[in-house]
Amino acid sequence: MKHASVLLAVLFAAATAAARANEAGMCGVCHSDVRVQFEQGVHRSEGIACTTCHGGDVAATTVEGAHRAGFRGVPRRRDIPALCASCHGDIARMRPYNLPSDQFALYQTSQHGRRLAKGDPNVAVCTDCHGVHEIRRRDDPRSRVFPRNIPSTCARCHGDAALMKKYGRTDNPYADYAAGVHGRAFLENASDAAPECTRCHGSHGATPPGLGDVEKVCGQCHATTRQYFLEGPHKKAMDDAGLPECAACHHNHKTPPAGVEMLDSVCLQCHAADSEQQKLAGTMKGMFTDAAREIDEARHLVEEAARIPLYVDDYQARLEDARTALMESFPVMHALDTGRVEPHTRRARSIAAEVSGEIHEKLAGRWWRKVGLGLFWFYLLLTAAILVRARHRAAAESRH
Amino acid sequence: MNGPETTSIERRGVLTWLIRGFLAIWALGAGVLGISFLKAPSSEKRPGERQLRCGSFSTLAIGEARLVRHGAEPLFVVRVSDSQVTAVSAVCTHLRCVLKWDGDKGTFQCPCHNGAFDRAGIVLSGPPKKPLPQYPAEVRADEIIVHT
Amino acid sequence: MAADAGGKRSIRSWLEARLNLTEIASFLSVFGLLPAELDTRKPLREALDEALSRPLPSYARWPRIMGILSFILFLVLAVSGMMLAFYYQPTASEAYGSVTSIARDVTGGTLVNQVHRWAATLLLLILAARIVRFYFGGMYGRSREVIWMLAMVTFVVATFADLTGRLLPWDARGYWTTVRAREVTDALPLIGPLFSFLVGGSGLDSLVLTRFYILHIVVWPFLLLALFYLHFSSVRRVGLSSVADGPGSRSLRVVLYDLLLIVVFLIGALATLAIFMPQSFDVAADPFATPPGARPPWYLLAPHALLESFPPLVPRFLRGLFLEALFVAVLLLPFLDRRAGERPGRRPAAIALGALALLVWAALIWKGWHLEGPR
Repeated sequence: MKHASVLLAVLFAAATAAARANEAGMCGVCHSDVRVQFEQGVHRSEGIACTTCHGGDVAATTVEGAHRAGFRGVPRRRDIPALCASCHGDIARMRPYNLPSDQFALYQTSQHGRRLAKGDPNVAVCTDCHGVHEIRRRDDPRSRVFPRNIPSTCARCHGDAALMKKYGRTDNPYADYAAGVHGRAFLENASDAAPECTRCHGSHGATPPGLGDVEKVCGQCHATTRQYFLEGPHKKAMDDAGLPECAACHHNHKTPPAGVEMLDSVCLQCHAADSEQQKLAGTMKGMFTDAAREIDEARHLVEEAARIPLYVDDYQARLEDARTALMESFPVMHALDTGRVEPHTRRARSIAAEVSGEIHEKLAGRWWRKVGLGLFWFYLLLTAAILVRARHRAAAESRH
Repeated sequence: MNGPETTSIERRGVLTWLIRGFLAIWALGAGVLGISFLKAPSSEKRPGERQLRCGSFSTLAIGEARLVRHGAEPLFVVRVSDSQVTAVSAVCTHLRCVLKWDGDKGTFQCPCHNGAFDRAGIVLSGPPKKPLPQYPAEVRADEIIVHT
Repeated sequence: MAADAGGKRSIRSWLEARLNLTEIASFLSVFGLLPAELDTRKPLREALDEALSRPLPSYARWPRIMGILSFILFLVLAVSGMMLAFYYQPTASEAYGSVTSIARDVTGGTLVNQVHRWAATLLLLILAARIVRFYFGGMYGRSREVIWMLAMVTFVVATFADLTGRLLPWDARGYWTTVRAREVTDALPLIGPLFSFLVGGSGLDSLVLTRFYILHIVVWPFLLLALFYLHFSSVRRVGLSSVADGPGSRSLRVVLYDLLLIVVFLIGALATLAIFMPQSFDVAADPFATPPGARPPWYLLAPHALLESFPPLVPRFLRGLFLEALFVAVLLLPFLDRRAGERPGRRPAAIALGALALLVWAALIWKGWHLEGPR
C-alpha cells in the first residue's frame, strides 16, 4: 500500500513535472516557509515535487483538494529511511547522478539503523544529517554532510552528553576528537589529510570498528605502522585480551600527538614497571632520544656555522636524511623489536655524528685566522715601535 | 768625513731602507687584500645563478629518476622522454622526509608515512597535501642541468 | 743614494712645475689631518717642512683626537663600504644571498664586512663620546656654538647612516631591527614622515631596500663628509678649547707620528674585533616571522623607552614631539647656558645635571632593552 502510493506520487510528479515551472506547485502558497527551504535544495533543481514525499495533489487549488489524493503529511521518523530509499535505492534512477544506491542497505546494518528498527526514536535518520527540505549536494559547503562539516553534524547528537547518557556513554567523542591530533589537524589546520568521523566509522553504515578491526581502520592511512604492528607480538596478544589494538595505546578519539614519551606511560597500563616489556620500551625510547639529541646538536652546529657564514647546504641535506631515518623508526617501533629499530636510529646517529664531526673540523680549521691575527699584531707592534722611535727622533730634532 | 761617522751614516741609511721596506709591506698587504677581494668568485658560486649539474643524461633510462644530493633540498631528475628531463624536489611535503624512488611502480615513496607522488610530483596517496615543487631542467651536451 | 734622491727630486720638480702639489697636500687640512693650510706659494717639501716643524699648542692630542679618529673611521668605512658595494645587490630577493656570498665566497670578504660593521659601531660610540666630552669640558661656550651643534647633528646623521646600513644584509636581525627602529622614527613628527617619504613608504620591500641602499652609500656619507668639513673648519677658526694645554713644545711632525700610532692601533682593534667578536649573520629575513628579542638598535633604545614611558592616553605624535623638543633643547644648549666655562669646578650645577642626564639615559637604555615585542 505504502509503496503503491509512493509509486503513484512519483508517476504523478513525473507526469506533471514538465508542465510546471515551479515544482512546489500550489503547496507553496500556504507552506511558504517550507517552500523557501525547499527551493534551495537539490531536489528542487532535479524536479522532485513536494508530493513525491508527502503525497497529495500539487495542482489542487483548495486545501482539501491538495491534501486528498494519497496525502501522507509528515512522514514518521521510522519510515523516513525507506521513503528516501524508494528513490535512492533505485540503481537505474541513481545511475545518471553517479550516486550509490546501497545507502539504505548500509543504514540497516548501522547502529543507527538497527536501533531504529527496534523502535528507538532518537537515532539519526536520513534527514538528521542531510536536512529535511533543503537537502544540498555533498560538495556544497553549506551542506551538513560536506566533509568539512561532518564533525559538527555528528556532534549534534554525539556531543550531547544528556542524550548519550541514555545509551550508557559517558565520554564525549566530539570533544575528544577536537582535542586530539586528528581533530586539531582537521578542524584547526583545515587539513584534508586528517580524518573526520566517517573516515573511520563509515557514514550510512556508521558502526564502531570491531575490536580486531581497529588496525585495519587505522592502517588505511598509517599503512607502514600497521605493517609493523601486524609483524609484532601485540596483534595476537591484544586480540586475545580483547583490547582495541591501536586505540589501546593511542585512544580512539582523543588520539594525543604520538611521541616517544608515550613509552613511559602507556605500556604500564598492562605491563609492570619492572617487566621485560617496560625495559624494552625504555630501550627503544633511549635509542630514539639519543639519536634525536645528536641530530639536535648537529643542527645547532650547522646553525652556528651558517651564521659565520659557511656553506651548510650539504649538511642541512644530510640532516634531513638523518631526520628521515629517525622518523622511519616511529612505525618500526610497533614491531616491538629493538633489533629492527636500531638500524634506523643508528643511521640517524651516524649521519648526525658525521655532520657534527665535519663541522667541528671546519670550525677548528679556522685556527689560522687567529694565528694570522697574532702575526698581524706582531707586525702592528713592530710598526708601532718604529713609529715611536721616529717620533722620538722628530721630538729631539724639533727641540734643537 | 772620518771613518766612524761614515759607517754610522751608512748604517742609518740601511736601517732607514729596512724600515721603508717594512712599511712598504703594509701597502703590499693592503694591495693583495684589495685585489683578491675584487676577484669575482667562480660563476657557480655567484648568488642567484645556481646551475646544478646532475650527471649524464644518456645513462638515465626513460621513465627513471635519479636522486641528486645538493644543498638543503635534494631533488630528483626524471627522464620523461628521448630528449626531456624534469626535476622535482625530493623532500616530502608532509613532514620533510626525503623520498625514495620506487622503480617498479614509477613513484616516489615517502619512507615515513607512506605518502606517494608520481613522476611529476603530484600526490597519489598518503598524508601529503601539496605536490612536490618543480625546478626547470634542461639537457646540455648530455649533461642534465637543473636551475635551482 | 744621492742619485736616487736626485731622481726623486726631479720627478717631484717635474710634477711641481705642472701641478701645485702644495695645494693638493693642503687639502688634507680640510678634514683635520693638518691643523692649518699650507703656504701654497712654496714648493711642497719646503711648505711641509715649515708646517711640520711648527710647534703646536693643542692639536690631535689625547683626548682631543676624537674628531680625527672619527674621520679616520669614516675613511675606513668608505673604503670597506666601497669594496662591499662591488658585490652587493640591493634587491629583496638577492640581498641576503649576495651578502652571505661576500662573506663566504669572496677572499677576505668576512674581514671587510666585519671591519665595516665594527668601524660603524666604533664611529657611533666615538661620536657619542665626543658629545659627552664637549659637555663636561664646557666646550660649547661662546664662539663654539657651531662645534657643539655640528657634533649633535653629526651623531644623528651617523645614526641614520648606521640604521640604513642595518637593513642591507636583509637578514632576520637586520630586518626586524629596522622594523623596530621605524616604530621610533615614525613617532617623530616631521622627521618620521620625511624619512618615510625618502625611503618610499612605511613598509619594507625591494623599493625601500634600494632607497635605503642609496641613502646609505651616497646621501648620508656625503652629508657626513660635509659635516666633518664644517667641524674642522670651525675648529681651525676658533680652536677646540680656550684653555691652553701645556707649552707648545711639540711639532706637527711629532703629533702626526702620534696620529699614525693611533691609526695602527685602531686597525689592530678593528681586525681583532672582526675576528674574535664577529657581528654574526642571522637567517634570511622572513617578513612573516618576528624572531624573539627584536629590538631597535642600541642608539634608539633610549628614545624607544622614552616613547613607551608616557601614559597610554598621550598620543604618539605628542610623545615624538617631546623627543624632538628635547633634541632641540640640547642642540641649542650653547644659547641656553651662556655661562659655560671650561673648568668643571666652576660649574657644578651643569656637571651635576649632565651626570644626571647620563644616568637617566643609561636607565632608559636598560628599560628599552627590556621592552619586549613589536607593536
